[in-house]
Amino acid sequence: MTEHHIDAHVCFISPNVVRGGDGTVERPFATMRAALAHLRATGDGATTAPSAAAGVSVPGFEVACVAAPGALGERKRKSRFRFYIDEHRHSDAPDGSESAPWIDRVTAIDGLLGLDERGSLRLRPGERLTVCHHEVFTSTSLDRIKARKERWAKYAFMVAAFLLVLPVVAILGYLTVEALPALSLEFLFKNPTDMGKAGGIWAPLVGTFLLVFVSLLISAPIGVMAGVYLNEYAPDNWFTRIVSLAVVNLAGVPSIVHGLFGFGAFVLFAGIGKSVLAAACTLAVMTLPVVITSTREALGAVPMSFREACWNMGASRWQTIRTIVLPNSISGILTGVILQVSRVAGETAPILFAGAAAVVSLPDSGFKAWVPFGLNEPFMALSYHLFLIRTQIQGVPEATQFATAIVLIGLVLAVNSASIGVRMYLRSRKKW
Amino acid sequence: MATAEVVETGVTVERDTGSFRLGEWLIVALIHVCGISAILFVLAIFAFVFGEAAPLFWGDYGFSFAEFATSTHWSPAHPTSPHYGIVALFVGTLAVSVLSMALAVPLGLGAAVYVSEFCEGKRKETLKIVIELLAAIPSVVWGFIGVMVMSPIIIHGLGASIGTNILNGGVILALMSVPVIVSVGEDALKAVPDSFREAGLALGASRWEIVYRVLFPAAKNGLLAAVLLGVGRAIGETMAVLMATGHAVQIPTSVLDPVQTLTATIAAEMGEAEQHGTQFRVLFLIGVVLFAVAFVVNLTADIIVKGIRGKQND
Repeated sequence: MTEHHIDAHVCFISPNVVRGGDGTVERPFATMRAALAHLRATGDGATTAPSAAAGVSVPGFEVACVAAPGALGERKRKSRFRFYIDEHRHSDAPDGSESAPWIDRVTAIDGLLGLDERGSLRLRPGERLTVCHHEVFTSTSLDRIKARKERWAKYAFMVAAFLLVLPVVAILGYLTVEALPALSLEFLFKNPTDMGKAGGIWAPLVGTFLLVFVSLLISAPIGVMAGVYLNEYAPDNWFTRIVSLAVVNLAGVPSIVHGLFGFGAFVLFAGIGKSVLAAACTLAVMTLPVVITSTREALGAVPMSFREACWNMGASRWQTIRTIVLPNSISGILTGVILQVSRVAGETAPILFAGAAAVVSLPDSGFKAWVPFGLNEPFMALSYHLFLIRTQIQGVPEATQFATAIVLIGLVLAVNSASIGVRMYLRSRKKW
Repeated sequence: MATAEVVETGVTVERDTGSFRLGEWLIVALIHVCGISAILFVLAIFAFVFGEAAPLFWGDYGFSFAEFATSTHWSPAHPTSPHYGIVALFVGTLAVSVLSMALAVPLGLGAAVYVSEFCEGKRKETLKIVIELLAAIPSVVWGFIGVMVMSPIIIHGLGASIGTNILNGGVILALMSVPVIVSVGEDALKAVPDSFREAGLALGASRWEIVYRVLFPAAKNGLLAAVLLGVGRAIGETMAVLMATGHAVQIPTSVLDPVQTLTATIAAEMGEAEQHGTQFRVLFLIGVVLFAVAFVVNLTADIIVKGIRGKQND
């Protein structure tokens, strides 16, 4: 700490002067004894302390040791000696400690002189002796230890939080920089050629959009209706408990197991074959819990009084839901649906066996170049494409790989930001 | 004339209500069916995955469950004597999950405490949004980051011969499971009534003392659930570990050894497995194992969370 807080009741001493001065930095005392005698002579401090003008008596003071006259030098943050004065506390054997403070300034100086005579108050240059005035709310050493612990705890937690933010920012920055050489509109709108080594990512992009769209068509109605059932119709009993447990477990099933399920159920059993439809069905089942949970939360946020008012008008349960509950929770439901979209766009494992294809031969122009796959055909998807060009296909330029990753992240983050935006907008104009 | 009109209107209204009731009945029926769809899907997942694996137990596949459960020897593609032991794969999954949890639990819970107790206003909102975005990054991108960013760091920084190993997968998985831990952990801390904090303050406790003497014991179950959900995410993750942990079926001896996890095995070998062959069915059996593990983890987490809610309602 290089900043010096010097006010009127700091008295300076220096071991390197022969004749004592008046206690200022320029003319310090030679000994502690002289300084203490001076402090006693100046009375109770009320006459010299600047705070006396404000009507506050501050009997505390400080004796600081400097190397030479006028040389403030480095000042240690902590006092070498710390004593206390507390005029509200009578101790039988006051020694200036926190538990047995001196009763006033005169007693304090007497006590200090006694200690000095025994040679226990030696100060080296830069060190200080502080006599604190203990008031009712002055922090005790316990308070200070607590405050220090709290500060450290806060910093530790803060570091934990920012250790999460830092890698994200660093990684996104790095990926973007590496991707820049390959990123262009042409990259987005051209189909991949030569096994992904050249060309763009139009076909995988279309595949991802198709997957999102079809799986949304399946999971949004089922999920919203399931949410309505759980929040509006389901009685509070063991069966409902099992249903919500099933929702939680459906959300926790590993994505690769969803992939196996999709393969077994839609590709083989239902006979759909490896196709957009089979993959979209798999993804719909996987993301159903997202829609159910957020719908349920959004409906739960609509106050009960809204429903009761509507029932009192003679409306049936479904009429109430249709005209009151759903319109009032549509933004929340939308948030869940958008989150579902972002998960579908990023998932790879569930579609591995359901029709994601390494190569789909595509023409350079015409309708087939723009809409590369039908619902019943194998397809390319952005996430799977990234996996392929990184691990399965040799010799794809690194910039292309980075650019594909950035487009995928950008897509997902854009969708997520939209969801966050909807939520914030909703919160800002909430009417109840 | 007027009377007739009234009658007519009355009739129309009557008819309207009738058809409306039918429509409403249909919709409500549909809602009920959808409502229980979650149960149907969970059962269907188990049925289909187990259904593909089940013939192993009675069909003529040369498969021994004892070997499956106890052997470390996994060589399904061997032309004459294939072996199907999942112990090495299981240890691989365990190693990566344990390492990722060792990193993610302190970080995640620390961040949850910071977000919930030590910061307010704009900073809190920003942090929550960033952590949400962290959760949104697709797993295949995490895998890509593992290969392209982490791997060179590990090779140059630690002198490992292979950059895709347990350490790589563990770090990537930690970053992936932290958002779950933070959000569930924050919910658990938020669920502790403010009166607990106020009582602590009134007794002269600092905020740190309130955190570890009041909040941690009170939110213990919720925090445990947060950790369990993180574990569930780590065990079930596929693409990131497929890309970042290397492919080596072995019992690892150090964190710099590559391993192969249960999930990665399914993803990597399903494409080459002959349909309805032994390997195909064994991979589905691994799926059953994963399903069971995830089921137990989620069930436990759910029971723990519901347990707190029940207690608070009392």
